[in-house]
Amino acid sequence: MSAAVDVSPGTGPGAAARGRPALLASLAPVAGIVVVLLLAAVVSPGFYSGANLELVLYQAGFIGVMAIGQTFVLLTGGIDLSMGAVLAVTAVIVAQYTAGADGPLPGAVALAAGAGLLIGAVNAALVVVRRVPPFVATFAVFVLVQGAITAYTKGAPSGNVPAALGDLGAGRLLGAPLPVWIFAGLLALGAVALARTTWGRRLYVAGSNRRAGELAGVRGGWVIAGAYVIAALLAVLAGLINAGYVGQVDAQLASSLNLDPIAAAVIGGVALVGGRGHLGQTLTGVIFLSLVLVWMIQLGAGIGGQLAVEGTAILAAALLQRGRSGAGKGGR
Amino acid sequence: MTMRRTQRTLPLLAAAVILAAACGTERESVTGGGGPSLPCEPSEAAQAAYDRSWREAGKPVGLGELEPDGTEVCLVDTRRFARDADSGRPTVAFAAQGPTNGWALENDEAFKLRAKQRGVDVLYASALADANRQVDNIQQLASQKPDAMVVVPMGPGITGQVRAAADEGIPVVLCAGRLAPGSGAVSTVARSYELQATLSAEWVVKQTGGKGKIAMLSGAAGVPTAEFQKAAAEKVFAEHPGIRIVSKQYTGWSPTKSKTVATNLRARHPDLDAIWSDSGISDLGVVEAYQQAGKPVPPLTGDSSNAFLKAVAGTDTKFMISPFPPEQSAACLDTALDVLKGKPVPNRVNVKGTAFTHKEAEKYARPECSDNLTVPSALPQDLLERLELC
Repeated sequence: MSAAVDVSPGTGPGAAARGRPALLASLAPVAGIVVVLLLAAVVSPGFYSGANLELVLYQAGFIGVMAIGQTFVLLTGGIDLSMGAVLAVTAVIVAQYTAGADGPLPGAVALAAGAGLLIGAVNAALVVVRRVPPFVATFAVFVLVQGAITAYTKGAPSGNVPAALGDLGAGRLLGAPLPVWIFAGLLALGAVALARTTWGRRLYVAGSNRRAGELAGVRGGWVIAGAYVIAALLAVLAGLINAGYVGQVDAQLASSLNLDPIAAAVIGGVALVGGRGHLGQTLTGVIFLSLVLVWMIQLGAGIGGQLAVEGTAILAAALLQRGRSGAGKGGR
Repeated sequence: MTMRRTQRTLPLLAAAVILAAACGTERESVTGGGGPSLPCEPSEAAQAAYDRSWREAGKPVGLGELEPDGTEVCLVDTRRFARDADSGRPTVAFAAQGPTNGWALENDEAFKLRAKQRGVDVLYASALADANRQVDNIQQLASQKPDAMVVVPMGPGITGQVRAAADEGIPVVLCAGRLAPGSGAVSTVARSYELQATLSAEWVVKQTGGKGKIAMLSGAAGVPTAEFQKAAAEKVFAEHPGIRIVSKQYTGWSPTKSKTVATNLRARHPDLDAIWSDSGISDLGVVEAYQQAGKPVPPLTGDSSNAFLKAVAGTDTKFMISPFPPEQSAACLDTALDVLKGKPVPNRVNVKGTAFTHKEAEKYARPECSDNLTVPSALPQDLLERLELC
């Protein structure tokens, strides 16, 4: 079990030996947040208005819920590109099943959870049983689900979302948007699960060296499968949050890959190669990304500008991670 | 001797060439650089019809006559495409956007319905809103040798393939969109983006009395549908120095993103006098952002969406809707059939779309129908029900 701790940067004894590049990589997202906050203060003083900060918190909650699931998957050495499809399925099921009425909402939520469970299980089966590379498997599932949605809705997903769901996306608790509290609660649960449970430790082993883990008796397949299923269920929750936030089925959002959760985890420092990272890093990435996204809107950068900045941040994070891996290898 | 004769002849030849060139301006090519050269005769009637579509567009919403955009309209000689009367049912290929949203679904169905009414066999290909996929579709459709082709262009990237189809002798009608000159298309049948945007911008000017702070919300950066409208609206606002555009944003035509953008706008500019928007779908997010905060929604513009009309029903939100009718595909097919009869067709047809404001909202809203319905809809009720739009 100690092997599982060793492969987690910042938490294991190996972290200290990685030297300056590792420290740089760990501090870079925090430094990024500070830089964005300072630049926003200078360039866009209105950035610190209450409504704007609320927007940042909502974004953090919405992206964060999915980023937790994506972090679990990334720790196994995988990636889940089907989350956008799960968001879409959730919105379509809620709108079509309830037709805007509150009464059928529990049934719709159960149906959406069932659909998420199924999609997560298909991802898991493809990756674990059929050994399909996660990128290919989850992208194929994304396309497949999009096709099914297009066929079912005749390409026009629409409908009203029950008012009862409004609070989940647009409600407030202690002055902050409810989604950010949901994210905080799930983050705490996830952090405990990763650090204190057998499942969490096995997740690191499965991601760092699945073969060695299996030789040591760790059944990595079930652990990996669990990560994909949890990711899908968290995407269902995010779908409900978004449907509640906007009060409509958003056909544009439903047809996008939605790479924000991956971006947040990677920017925070979770390794794309698996076995390294923790939810504290995901939190940092989520905060950074939410700040940048809202700031870009304030600057009038448009979606192209937002994607460009997001891409640059991911690239910088990947380069820093590469530097850290190189330093780690050299130090051994 | 020969040399002197040549010297005398050269000025005459030059004069003849200049004269020929001068005469040639009466019959211009509609295809620009590529595709078959199609003679296009200036036509006062066709020009007047086009200009009238501009001048009269603002009347339903209380605006004066709008100045036409200067598009030159001529009649294309299509006799080379005329089919024999006894050659059976015509086959028309339809390179469609594909049912990626409610508008596109209605666009498809309006075309198929008109084809059925007029006894036309349809070769259909859906691009699923993707220009790359449409390039392949046009190639596939052209290989089946249709009598004519109607293309809903997904972007300038398909121009080469449209030109290739035209080079094969297939008359192509561009529908609900346009391409740059040189595409080889016989005619472009579409609601003018510029007219839509000019109408809504003029309404904003009227609402604000020509002075105040406004924001502009466009769909997607770089996408012609959004950029043409944005440019036309900016042109109108530039003529009114009292109008101050405090923010220009892109919403991706997503209510989620437009809500985020509008929340930001509301925080930065609580005293906004109006919002110019190119989309009713984006307006949904705007309305949600203001209503959630308990603030009045500034007067805003957009295209027609039943979802938006439902969202503002019973509120005092002021708005103007400038429709982009999905049924324009039926007019596109009509033009293609005129071409196959050898009738002269205008190189540019501006499809009519009646604008309306909050005052007529009840007349156009369809509460019993789907959010996806584009209103007003000219499709028959039974078809709307079959499509689950009503």
